[in-house]
Amino acid sequence: MKQPVKLTIPGDAQYLYLGRKVILYFLNHHEVQEDLAFKLVLCIDEACANIIKHSYGGNTECPIEISLFMDDNEFWVELRDYGKQCDANKIKPRPLDEIKPGGLGTHFMNEIMDDVEYCTNRDEGTLLTMRKKLATEDFAVAAKT
Amino acid sequence: MGVKCQVDENKNGVVTISLHGEIDMSSSPEVRDALTAQFDTKPKAIIVNMSKVPYIDSSGIATLVEGLQWSHSNGKKFRLVGLNSSVRDIFEIARLLQVFEVFDSNEEAMQGV
Repeated sequence: MKQPVKLTIPGDAQYLYLGRKVILYFLNHHEVQEDLAFKLVLCIDEACANIIKHSYGGNTECPIEISLFMDDNEFWVELRDYGKQCDANKIKPRPLDEIKPGGLGTHFMNEIMDDVEYCTNRDEGTLLTMRKKLATEDFAVAAKT
Repeated sequence: MGVKCQVDENKNGVVTISLHGEIDMSSSPEVRDALTAQFDTKPKAIIVNMSKVPYIDSSGIATLVEGLQWSHSNGKKFRLVGLNSSVRDIFEIARLLQVFEVFDSNEEAMQGV
């Protein structure tokens, strides 16, 4: 396994933009197809937004550690926070037939990623791991041929 | 990075809000402020032009859903214009493309309001 690319941003919504740009560069570097890269960035952005909102509750001094991994056929990301631990059993997307604001972020993560796992087996905070299998056609070079 | 919200009202009482920039947890409150400010002016319709929005997250979509709820509650039109393919994909995953009225241009969106 190659070494991950690691990025730490403050738990402050002002830095989500910066995080997205770095993650997009990482996926472009690995020639992940543009549409899929956009969706993967969205999932990580939504996860960071949940950390800012629910784990840190507005304390912008706390870090969000993002580790990006890429193998031949899989992308995965680890997001580590040190805030309030989440109860994975209570994290559920809202039913989509209810047209109302909110609750879509978790739906995006579950729908786009192959696996979403919350680990709270630690003294503080949560480690969220999201995985996505990549097929040949998910890479830009293959898409052009 | 913020989002710019340009509000234009035409003679027929139709308000067009043109958004420019990425909409996320940080910038969606600006969009919400621009949008909800128009609810009080009782326009006949609100058209949101998103042709210069390269990215939107769930908080941005939630803001637009508020516009949809306003339209349903008041019998008004609330229409979206110019979703790029990536943004359109996100609406599709949220199964909202069938819920919003989406048009390619302001001119098309103005028809029948």
